[in-house]
Amino acid sequence: MSVPLLIVDDSGFARKQVIRALPKGWDVEISQAGNGVEALEQIEQGKGEVVLLDLTMPVMDGYGVLEAIRARDLPAVVIVISGDIQPEAEARVMRLGALAFIKKPLNTEQLSQILSDFGIHSA
Amino acid sequence: MDSEVLDEDLRDCLQELSNVAVGRAADLLARLLDTFVIMPIPVVNLMERAELSMALSSVQGSHSVSAVCQGFTGSKISGEALLIFNDASFTDMAELTHFEGEITEQIELELLMDIANILIGACLKGLAEQLDISFSQGQPYLLGQHINIDELLSKNQSGWKRLLTIELPYKLEGRLVNCDLLLLFTNDSLAILRDKVSYMLE
Repeated sequence: MSVPLLIVDDSGFARKQVIRALPKGWDVEISQAGNGVEALEQIEQGKGEVVLLDLTMPVMDGYGVLEAIRARDLPAVVIVISGDIQPEAEARVMRLGALAFIKKPLNTEQLSQILSDFGIHSA
Repeated sequence: MDSEVLDEDLRDCLQELSNVAVGRAADLLARLLDTFVIMPIPVVNLMERAELSMALSSVQGSHSVSAVCQGFTGSKISGEALLIFNDASFTDMAELTHFEGEITEQIELELLMDIANILIGACLKGLAEQLDISFSQGQPYLLGQHINIDELLSKNQSGWKRLLTIELPYKLEGRLVNCDLLLLFTNDSLAILRDKVSYMLE
């Protein structure tokens, strides 16, 4: 069964880069969101069992999404993919329950490794 | 080359490349000042120089600003970086750098130059690396201290009428520090940038 995968980034270009970096042969049903509010709507509709989340976004940022997922107890596993590489940014998202933190520009091998480490997808 | 346009795909791509570059600059600044930098969302535009003052959202309304300018060039891309500080920022900036004593104009200048070196250098390097080019940077120079935005922009007349602008409004968490890093590229640079990123846009 395909995994509902939600890619959240305000940049369509960045979302495309993430889609390109997904492991080949991973059976996913991809949805996309351009900000945190859209992301939460889609997660509530069951489209984001796994979420690849950008931090710096208009309307609602990635921190807001993580807080809401926790507050509403939504069933989503979140990997943050961020241009904000301050150690404090990583510490904050990890405290908010993110599974992992990946720095942009996105490295395909690193994404595959993390998906495999957490048993989400093994090539 | 007045026909150059900034289509949505290119604008979005440049915004994302800037976002990554800005992240590196923010990381350096955060480490230097031991503070948290609120990441700006880069604003990419193509505009006439005359429109520039309206674009400076972060320091807009500040009666008094200080600014540094630094030219850069490489791979037929050229432009200049402007770092504009709201003068109200200097008290907090001095505190963050553990400066004790009277904040004279000379101290402000030193703070301005230090921050400019870090932010402009890291940002340009981050952009250049992603574009697989390198920029050489000119000497930074002071555009003015304690002047208003209009005065500032009138001092910065490089003769380019149409510009590609990337605006990066930085803020520090819990601090009254407002600064705008503005990257201005010549209109001719736009075609080269488009060419450099074309493979990413496919």
